[in-house]
Amino acid sequence: MPSLGDVGQLAVNGVMAGTILAVPAIGLTAIYAVLRFPNFALASHATIGAFAGYVANARLGLTLVPSVLIAFFVAGVVGVATDEAVLKRFRPAGYITTAIASIALTIALENIVRFSFGNELRGYDLPIQRDWRLGVIRIGPQQVQNLAIAAVTMVALFAFLAFTRTGKAMRAVADNPMLASIKGINADAIGRIVSFLGMGLAGLGGMLIGLDTTIDPLTGFRSILSVFAAAVVGGLGSIPGAVVGALTVGVGEELCLLFLSPDYRSAVGFVAILLVLTLRPRGILGQRAY
Amino acid sequence: MLDRTREPRRRFLKTAGALALTGMVPTIVRGEEAPLQLGVLTPLTGAGGFDGPRMAKAMQAVIDEVNAAGGLLKRKVVLVIEDDQTNPEAAVRAARKLMDVTKVPAIMGTWASAVTSAVAPLCWESRTFLTTVSGADSITKLPHQGYLIRTQPNNYLQAGKHAEFIAAMGVKRCFMMSIQAPFAEPTQTRATEVLKQKGSQMVGALIYDKDKTTYRSEVDEALRTNPDLIYLNGYAPDVTILLRDLYRAGYPGARFAQSYAVTTKVLESLPNEVTEGVITVQPSADVSSPAYELARKRLGIAEPDSYETQATDWASLVSLAIAKANVATGTGIRDNVRKICQGNGTKVYSAIEGLKLLAQGKEINYEGASGPCDFTDIGDIIDCKFRYNKVVAGKFVLIKVA
Repeated sequence: MPSLGDVGQLAVNGVMAGTILAVPAIGLTAIYAVLRFPNFALASHATIGAFAGYVANARLGLTLVPSVLIAFFVAGVVGVATDEAVLKRFRPAGYITTAIASIALTIALENIVRFSFGNELRGYDLPIQRDWRLGVIRIGPQQVQNLAIAAVTMVALFAFLAFTRTGKAMRAVADNPMLASIKGINADAIGRIVSFLGMGLAGLGGMLIGLDTTIDPLTGFRSILSVFAAAVVGGLGSIPGAVVGALTVGVGEELCLLFLSPDYRSAVGFVAILLVLTLRPRGILGQRAY
Repeated sequence: MLDRTREPRRRFLKTAGALALTGMVPTIVRGEEAPLQLGVLTPLTGAGGFDGPRMAKAMQAVIDEVNAAGGLLKRKVVLVIEDDQTNPEAAVRAARKLMDVTKVPAIMGTWASAVTSAVAPLCWESRTFLTTVSGADSITKLPHQGYLIRTQPNNYLQAGKHAEFIAAMGVKRCFMMSIQAPFAEPTQTRATEVLKQKGSQMVGALIYDKDKTTYRSEVDEALRTNPDLIYLNGYAPDVTILLRDLYRAGYPGARFAQSYAVTTKVLESLPNEVTEGVITVQPSADVSSPAYELARKRLGIAEPDSYETQATDWASLVSLAIAKANVATGTGIRDNVRKICQGNGTKVYSAIEGLKLLAQGKEINYEGASGPCDFTDIGDIIDCKFRYNKVVAGKFVLIKVA
């Protein structure tokens, strides 16, 4: 019989994992809300962000926060460039074609990273600290730091969407592209901004994942299924939904360990998708952005 | 009208006939015999991305020597290299291409057990010979009809030897964390058995899901059993995370892992305090064998590891079996491989040495760089040595080869 401490520890672990998952999940869902296709190239952009952060940290000797900002910025810029050069041309052919093109794009980008950096595992140049013990609960200082970075990013994004003109325009395009264009909002410009933000968040998420693990060209690819699960469970297109979805998947995957063997952990995310889509096809928080 | 159409038709028939005839002339007469293509299917990417390229290089080095000595069956040998991505699905596609398009008689190099389990049935169905380093016991138990050999000790042999070593370290309580893979269960079962015989105990075991970004909860589960040693039976990406999480949790005990899971690259990617004291094990190359010395020179490496030497042995065994069979088919290799590597023939330590003797009609017994290369009926090696290293200040220090 698991003790209350075990349940608490698993819940804490789940929140930590879920928060990190939430960052790229927000990126995926924001791009879906505005551009109307699931952009699987998110995987390679997470990898690109992780490597950009690695270059900043391990090669240029920058500290954590500037490295994270560089991860965000580089992945964002690559996101805009690849969207303009590749995915934009596919969009008139429909969302399935564009989604498939994004899979091809992600494989191409992943291989560019492989070509430039090789296959081996790399770690950031940051010391690994021992966990704090609060009673029976164990918390990692680095994970708290990651949690803080993820939380600050999310708050900044919510503030951007709620209070800035561009943020409001983004929500307007997501809500009703036709009406937004009648009001004179340039959908192309908004598309570029959302690509920058979405892929930037993917890059930042990739680096956060890498901080906890190590990075290699498959870093993004390995987590894309969980990210996708989080976005779908929360409601594809809803940014608060992505956060709720990521926490649901994160905590769900951990709490299942109370009665399941750890090798079934990934299955939980997909059982969550099945359940949510059966009971509430639009996801937990529906399809509206923000 | 009719005449006008008939003339070009005749000319066409003549040309076509002439072309067909040139095509029918044996290529050898034209002096441009098509090269003999052999398949290489190693992981160039994914968890095996560290070993795969080195194995491919070792095979290429042997084939270069064979070509320099005149090739096989008077044909130049070409390796067709495909990436299995350490992924069964990608491996099956690549293997299909090698078998159906390139039509190779042998595929050398599958690394992960899950990949080999997926590729092996295609191989025996299409009579293609497969050589592998995968350790899962189930692999040689497949109904492969002899179309498979592995130079890696199987899990049963490995787990038994590892458990003996762990017990000899004085460990009383061992916990095993295994990645979800075909070798997980058999390794656990055999290690549990041997630990018990040697007065130690397996206090618990769990199988974890791959591709997770953290294993904190799994580490908690392991630490609840108070182990003196944790056997990390996974691959490099996940074992790296486990090592970090064990350090963070303040686990003071010993950690034991396969050398493919804790590589020099893993040591570089982690701070020294995280990896300090980790013990690694690997099937050892036969460092005292003349074949090992030849592999060292051929590869220009001070200490070729077990994977490079096994790859050296596959390229040699397949070349020698083709020469012995006098035909480059999977069945020919299957029927002749044991005739060139075990028995009473003259001992040879390289492919070219063996090819020379075979050309003189002599019997040979190839002794490899990875070990004696003697196989059981189901394709397992009979014995092999193990190398134990310990990580000290971010570097591997040899404990012993036994």
